[in-house]
Amino acid sequence: MNFLAASIESLGAKVVGWFTVGYGMFAFLVQATLLLLERATWNRATFDVVIKQVYFTAVQILHVFLGYVLVISWLIITIILSTARDFGLTEFASEMTIRVLVLELLPFLTALFIALRSGSAINTEVALMQVNSELDALAHCKVPPMQFEFLPRLIGGVISSVTLAGLAGLLALLLGYLAIYGTTAAGFEPYTQTIAKIFDFRIVAGLVIKCALFGLAVTLIPVTAGLETPKKLFMVPVSVLRGMMRVFFAIVAIEVVSLALKYI
Amino acid sequence: MNKLHFKVGLFTAASLLLAGAFVVYLLHARGFFEKTYHLQLAAASADGVAPGVPIVFSGIEIGRVTTLGLNDSGGIVIRTEFLERNAKWLKETSTFTLDKPLVGGAKIRVDSPDLNAPALPDNSTMLLLTSDISKEIPALVERVKAILANVEYLTRKDGEINATLANFKTLSGRMTGEHGMLEGILGSPEKARAVTDSLDKTRALMARLDSLAAKSDQWLFAKEGVAEQTRESLVQMRQMLSDAQASLKKADTLMANAVEISADVKEGTQDLAALRTEIDDAVRKANALVNEINKKWPFARDPEVKLP
Amino acid sequence: MARVSHELPLRANLSALDNIALIPIYQRHFSVDESNRQAWQLLEQLGHAGIAALRDPDMTPAQRFVTKLARALILRRPRLVIDRPGAMLYDVPYPAFIRKLAEQAEMTGTWEIFDFSWNQTLYPE
Repeated sequence: MNFLAASIESLGAKVVGWFTVGYGMFAFLVQATLLLLERATWNRATFDVVIKQVYFTAVQILHVFLGYVLVISWLIITIILSTARDFGLTEFASEMTIRVLVLELLPFLTALFIALRSGSAINTEVALMQVNSELDALAHCKVPPMQFEFLPRLIGGVISSVTLAGLAGLLALLLGYLAIYGTTAAGFEPYTQTIAKIFDFRIVAGLVIKCALFGLAVTLIPVTAGLETPKKLFMVPVSVLRGMMRVFFAIVAIEVVSLALKYI
Repeated sequence: MNKLHFKVGLFTAASLLLAGAFVVYLLHARGFFEKTYHLQLAAASADGVAPGVPIVFSGIEIGRVTTLGLNDSGGIVIRTEFLERNAKWLKETSTFTLDKPLVGGAKIRVDSPDLNAPALPDNSTMLLLTSDISKEIPALVERVKAILANVEYLTRKDGEINATLANFKTLSGRMTGEHGMLEGILGSPEKARAVTDSLDKTRALMARLDSLAAKSDQWLFAKEGVAEQTRESLVQMRQMLSDAQASLKKADTLMANAVEISADVKEGTQDLAALRTEIDDAVRKANALVNEINKKWPFARDPEVKLP
Repeated sequence: MARVSHELPLRANLSALDNIALIPIYQRHFSVDESNRQAWQLLEQLGHAGIAALRDPDMTPAQRFVTKLARALILRRPRLVIDRPGAMLYDVPYPAFIRKLAEQAEMTGTWEIFDFSWNQTLYPE
């Protein structure tokens, strides 16, 4: 009997914990959104920090990222094309390539890429700021940490995620064309037809929203996880670990929900 | 100059430019800058047609079904939409056929036999024909049956071939000449050649029936290849094809035997000539049937993959 | 009241100048250039213009203290409290160092130093 009560209690504690974390993130997001609407937020300093964030999240790694997209896309396109040839389904190959790569795989990989590179860095930095009382110092000086530190990171994450996924998608479209039709202009008409068939307004809007949500998830969750860190240095790795776990679940959840909305 | 700002600016400008170009390309692809061209198709039944069903011309999609509706007299009106650049393939002489292949989705096929014919005006109404393979199979089965009966009639125990052979047995004498004894039987080289020709045709037909049966086998046993009832008719047809083949083989043997029989020729001539006509007829019909089956059945498609 | 304390560290990944300039930017909505100018001026007044580009980990305790002091001064609050200077200025004779800085800075209001009682002998008056 005691065992049962204990397990129910631990389950309840877990659920409450999840709700607290979820509510914390939600409240943070609402606060950030409200600040976005304020004119005072849009000063030169915030803008400079946003630019810095975009630079570190997107521009600095652009060549590495595009190289990686090139390899992945080429591999996947080749696999799809050869499989389609084997089964006599070549007419569906280009559509399949675009759907798999541009709409699903590349945004997902982009989100993982940003999460691993920038998300973990943000989480560590915020956790260290919290542990070192730098945030207290900012509060003492009445410098709002939200506008100065966090909001630019969120904006930078969203911008980087959308642009990187977009660039990767365009690269994959180009590669797909080259793989199917070679370096002739002959396939332009049918390829255009396929693209027109896939990218209707709903799909494009869904893709942009999905990438923006990915960008938000890989920055918002590390920031809130970092802020939760107790003021003990040894808790920083634990905070990063928790934050990255949550980021991973959030990315998968966004992908699953988007797939469900699209195909069910 | 701030190097960091310059790089971010370059990145942003390039991304915006690419995004803008892609949006313009997408709008072009989706025909935003073009007039759309509408066409109504009148059909007896909307079975298998739904919004989004493609309209293909020479295998390339040129338009789509937008809505389905009923007119005042209860007929089906299918509204379709084309981009202006694709509307040039629609002529007044074009025919619209609803294709429902056994494998894959339905589509409306446009055939424009004369590309110089006057263009179809916007918002015109055309008739939608149906070529439904699954509906045609029973008809095909009927025709196979008829041919089979014909062949059977020729080869039945007390049938004409046997009677003719009986006649042959009373004949004697072996002839010499280009066409062997048949020339003797028929009296002239031309007539003899006619018989051997029909013999060749029978053999060729047998080969084709054989390959057709093999194909239908392959198709029948493919997983989920066809619907259940269609499958049954196909099994039936497959058996009929085998039967027809067997009968023709029998006829072939008999004919071959006839050649070998040494006999007096004069009496046999008339029977043999009649027999030849009948076999020729059966062969012609069966040939036409095989052609038709080959044309219509999905497994008769070119199995090789072609890139567009 | 503005505090200078070892419990209120500098932002570690910003230079001394940026740390100081933050305050005019976010509190009085000056432009970045104007704020930088004010911060620079203040550092020069304190005789430490050379540390403007340094970040927290690269500074000596004295330089770190000067930056914190400048950050507190630019807040322009009537009272300035230096909290346990011994914890921040462990490499210089700090009462003299602070007095020197106080003479350089033009500052209205009072400076107060809170320190442990056993350090009282360090302060002459």
